[in-house]
Amino acid sequence: MTFTDPLSIITLVPLLSGLLLLILPNILPEHISQRMQSSVRNVAIGLSTAIFALTTLIFLGTIGQIDWLSIGMGSFVLETEDPVWLIESIGVTWHLGADALSFPMIWLTTLLIPISMLVQWDVESSHRFHALLLVMEGALVGVFVSLDLFVFYVFWELTLVPMFFLIMIWGGEDRKYASMKFFIYTFTASVLMLVGILVMYFNTADSMFSGSLTGHHFNLVEMTEQARVGGLIASEGLRHLVWLLLLIGFATKMPSVPVHTWLPDAHVQAPTAGSMLLAGVMLKMGAYGFLRVAVAIFPESTLTFVPLLVFLGMASLVYGAVVCLGQTNLKRMVAYSSVSHMGLIFLGIATMQPIGFAGALFMMFAHGIISPLLFAVAGSFKHHYHTLEIGSMRGIAHHSPFLAGHMMLGWMGSLGLPLLAGFVAEVAIMIAFWMTFGWWVLLPAVTLIFTALYYLTSMQKIIFESNDPHQGILPDTLHGEDPRDVTWHENIGMFILGALTILFGIMPFIFWDMMSVWSTEFIETYLIHAMNALEAMP
Amino acid sequence: MGDNHQQEWNLLLPLLPALLIVPILAALGVEPLDLGFAAILAPFLMFPIVLLVGQIWNGNEVWVGKLKEGGILALASLAISLTAALWMIVHFLGLHEKKVHGDSITWLNFDVLSHDGTQWSVDAGFTNISFGIWLDSVSIMLLFVATFLCFLICWFAIGYMTTDDINSNRNHRFFAEFILFSMGMFGMVLADSFLWLFIFWEIMGLCSYLLIGFYYWKESAAAAAKKAFMTTRVGDVFLMVGLLMLYDIYGSLDFAVVFDDPSTGVGGTIVEASRLQPALLMLFIGCVGKSAQFPLHVWLPDAMEGPTPVSALIHAATMVNAGLYLVARMVPFVDVYHHGVPGMEELGLIVAWIGGITAFMAASIAFVQNDIKKVLAYSTMSQLAYIFLGLGSALYLLAADHHHAGYFVLGGALFHLFNHAMAKGMLFMASGSVIHEVHHAHHDLHHHGHHDDHHEEFDPQDMRNMGGLASKMPVTSIAMMLGSMSIIGIPLVGGFWSKEAIIAETWLGALEYEPLLLGPAILAVMTAGMTGFYMTRMWMMTFAGQPKHEAAANVHESTQWIKTPLITLSIVTATTGALLASMHVGEFLSGEEAGFHLGVVDALKHTFLPEKQALRVVGYTTIALSSLVGPIIAMKVHGGKLAEGESANRTVAWLVDLSSAFRPMDVSGMANSRLAESLQNRLHFDDLYEWAISKTITPMSAFSAWFDANVIDGIVKLIERTSVSGSMWIRTYTTGSTRDYILMAAIGALSIFALIVGVSQ
Repeated sequence: MTFTDPLSIITLVPLLSGLLLLILPNILPEHISQRMQSSVRNVAIGLSTAIFALTTLIFLGTIGQIDWLSIGMGSFVLETEDPVWLIESIGVTWHLGADALSFPMIWLTTLLIPISMLVQWDVESSHRFHALLLVMEGALVGVFVSLDLFVFYVFWELTLVPMFFLIMIWGGEDRKYASMKFFIYTFTASVLMLVGILVMYFNTADSMFSGSLTGHHFNLVEMTEQARVGGLIASEGLRHLVWLLLLIGFATKMPSVPVHTWLPDAHVQAPTAGSMLLAGVMLKMGAYGFLRVAVAIFPESTLTFVPLLVFLGMASLVYGAVVCLGQTNLKRMVAYSSVSHMGLIFLGIATMQPIGFAGALFMMFAHGIISPLLFAVAGSFKHHYHTLEIGSMRGIAHHSPFLAGHMMLGWMGSLGLPLLAGFVAEVAIMIAFWMTFGWWVLLPAVTLIFTALYYLTSMQKIIFESNDPHQGILPDTLHGEDPRDVTWHENIGMFILGALTILFGIMPFIFWDMMSVWSTEFIETYLIHAMNALEAMP
Repeated sequence: MGDNHQQEWNLLLPLLPALLIVPILAALGVEPLDLGFAAILAPFLMFPIVLLVGQIWNGNEVWVGKLKEGGILALASLAISLTAALWMIVHFLGLHEKKVHGDSITWLNFDVLSHDGTQWSVDAGFTNISFGIWLDSVSIMLLFVATFLCFLICWFAIGYMTTDDINSNRNHRFFAEFILFSMGMFGMVLADSFLWLFIFWEIMGLCSYLLIGFYYWKESAAAAAKKAFMTTRVGDVFLMVGLLMLYDIYGSLDFAVVFDDPSTGVGGTIVEASRLQPALLMLFIGCVGKSAQFPLHVWLPDAMEGPTPVSALIHAATMVNAGLYLVARMVPFVDVYHHGVPGMEELGLIVAWIGGITAFMAASIAFVQNDIKKVLAYSTMSQLAYIFLGLGSALYLLAADHHHAGYFVLGGALFHLFNHAMAKGMLFMASGSVIHEVHHAHHDLHHHGHHDDHHEEFDPQDMRNMGGLASKMPVTSIAMMLGSMSIIGIPLVGGFWSKEAIIAETWLGALEYEPLLLGPAILAVMTAGMTGFYMTRMWMMTFAGQPKHEAAANVHESTQWIKTPLITLSIVTATTGALLASMHVGEFLSGEEAGFHLGVVDALKHTFLPEKQALRVVGYTTIALSSLVGPIIAMKVHGGKLAEGESANRTVAWLVDLSSAFRPMDVSGMANSRLAESLQNRLHFDDLYEWAISKTITPMSAFSAWFDANVIDGIVKLIERTSVSGSMWIRTYTTGSTRDYILMAAIGALSIFALIVGVSQ
């Protein structure tokens, strides 16, 4: 049976049920839909938790009996057998699969969806909100599992739609501008990426896919194999061009300096759950796509443009951190810290060392746990104190001890404290960076000081420093209300994220081992020939 | 009160099962080395329990009354660590081996891409990062210091913290962070690789941040916490770079691999000093930050904003020793006698100079401090600098292949670490006892009526509010006296033995081998005299003379919780220094001997009658300066009789009497001089750093924020506006004529076709 393999279920069930939950209240008679609305969020969280359980079972090997450490490069687990033609005439198939690059991201997505639902459990018109989050889950997982570039692109753009509505409807004061900017900015970049994908498409050989009328196909696995054996595109100039087009699409999503300015606006206006998913998963789509498509298919171009990667990574890292220092808005600061951390991913890839790749992969995952925690804290702060200005509310250690605790943990995790998830990634990337680039490592190292500085400064002004231990300085925005601590559902969500930050900090090998194996194989399969060829050139 | 105490002792009953855990584990067949995991895990697992239970049961009667807001639980977990440590130490001493390495657990695996000159290839299974237990003479000494002092300070903290209203319902946070801090130190000492050393090192950084900022509502505490974390972070970042460099050289960060043969790197390559020395210097910057040495010393005095037990913890048992420990770990790299890398003399000289400068600078700032804890803080800085000086001399001497002198001063330096930790732990707890009682006396005096406004102005830490406490706090005054004697280096007491060894061997190195060591050597002798002055000054201002404030006239001795650790450490300080010195502990610590051997005569001879004439001169000059000149001047300035009718315990009464025997000296002229003012301002280092930051980072970040919002995003907005007006322009071509549309469609189709044909060729 088609569409009944685990990956299709993880993708399609949330997508379709989310759409169904969105549509049903509008077409059913009013008295039924009235009663339905209140239970939509229960259905949504139940469903997404079930999906999460399913994904976890896949990881544990209960489903599919997978040994994650022995997946060969270019082969995928849970691959859909005999890919189904979706659009036969142009060679589009429903072809899914997972490997150590995508699986942690899939697991992360299915984890973050129920948590973000929980954090915004009592949001207004929750029946639409939680249904949209389900649609979002399907689209995000779709990006990571599809091995057909057409389907990949469709899911890639599909993620924009629920996010657009999340910002547009549940966002802050300036939500219209932010949502339009977010949509147009990233859409423009992905259209350039689409041009690159189309060029690749027209260069594919048609040996396997005779059904296609154009004689070409979008199958990523075949494309990668063709590129590895004989090169996908003959002309070097065109290869570089396509690589750059892909880079624009992926770098905008990550985002990297100088195409990052959509991110702060989107984050500041987005509702908490939107921010959590945006930072937790959507940014990683860029890094994922970059490795999966651009690096794997065009290794020579990647090696040629290593200086560009280092520059972009370094610029994002250092510049992002310095801009963070100058922010007065809590969410803006956290958003720029994401830009800074994403820079490390480019640096890890640019080292061309297995440990650097593994560090970049682990950074994708670790940042995917930590940054949602940061945004949950920022969102909760906004929710209870009606402000995001750093310093307007002081001494929350007294008023909201749990919020202060979560903030402390999240901030510390993000600044790379050992035994929290981010440290392993940071140290791995730095080791690789020293091996490849030597003393340049001082730049990212000094940035770690800046990172600590902006996080500590904000904590000093938020958690600490109230002039009176029993009152603190209350912001005007409270309008005389008593300050409160986090609600139970926010607390549970943040506790889970915090616990995972600690768990993956102490036991990074849960995902690290497969990432490390994957990185070595990836470099051996795709990059090492190109590196030696480049070396042999006069 | 008596009944009360009876009840309080009952609270310690939960300690009994905790003390039994380690013997039971050992009886069950757990390897003694694996008990190290228990020593780390006990506080680590107790941390979330204390924190969460305390948060949820905040104010609960049992939690507050029986468990002292988690203090008893914390103490129990530290008792497990202490027994495990003692078990391991006894086991280690019985082995008569120089080092023992337990089985390690693999943490991270990875491969490395290497280049053999022509081709890139993957070294699969190249390396892994693992965690295990490593014991040698240095780590067992530090393990004992850390577990023993953490246990005693926690005991003290139960008495100190839970009796102050301002802390109630917050103490669970204190005890949780306290044991996490202790865990960091135990882990750092036991870890068998540089990476895990760094990991635990950073955990300590976090805990120092949390504990210094414990009074989060005080602006000064929040700023001090941030300053401590940031300053050490600067050092840590360089330390991390040093680790990367070491990793690149040896292909591993495990002690077992690195120390097996430091002169051979990854794949049998020969390690060059030009690669290794920068790496070690990077590590040393980390040590400078953590151990508060010049120029990264600014955080330590501010760290006094934390509660007093935290000061004791940071200064004696944990954090500052970390830097010393890491420098001591560098010894095998330079020890050319045992496979060290030749040509690294500079490292030792730099370490020694940093030590010498810091020792002198900190001692001179301590001259003018009036806050009892600040005096101790600068004293810590100065004494740590002695240890750095000793380690630096050792590194130099070993690198220059003078291994006998090198081992001797290395042992002396590590022994000084032990003596200083014991004495300083006690001094901080004694000062805490004083502060606690003065604060309570003041509180009681003003309890009726207008206590609020008075409360804010009175500083219970200011020695100018004290005086004459010797008669009221006998235990505290004796402890403080013994601690000060050990720090000053009064002959035959504690720190004397180790300080003598450091100074003598540095002089030996300076006179015989390297004139550049002369600077630190001279500074060390001068500092010894200054130490005599400021420590005596502190004792005199606190305990001798007349009470200078009504609060000081009404204090009482502290409770058992506070007195017990003081008495324990008094005994340790008074006896073990001499005892251990006569057991040749220095040689044991420096790794030259695998066990102790007794030699009282040897020890005395080496200290008082060294063979070289010059060293005798240096030795007796030091003793004269530190034990006579410094203290006598301090007594002349600050000494004096107790108030009428008051009499001190005989153990300290002689000191008070002696101090009043000298003719008083007036130093108000000096106290108002420019130099004194500059010293009050800590020689303007803080001002300089603040100025530098305000001139660089602050404007840079403000500019970047502006640049991002206006220039980069401005360009995006410009493109957006241009495209809007562009589409307005295009709209003029929507003529409505079918012929135009067909033309445009044709052109469009043709160009797409051309594009497709073009790219698919």
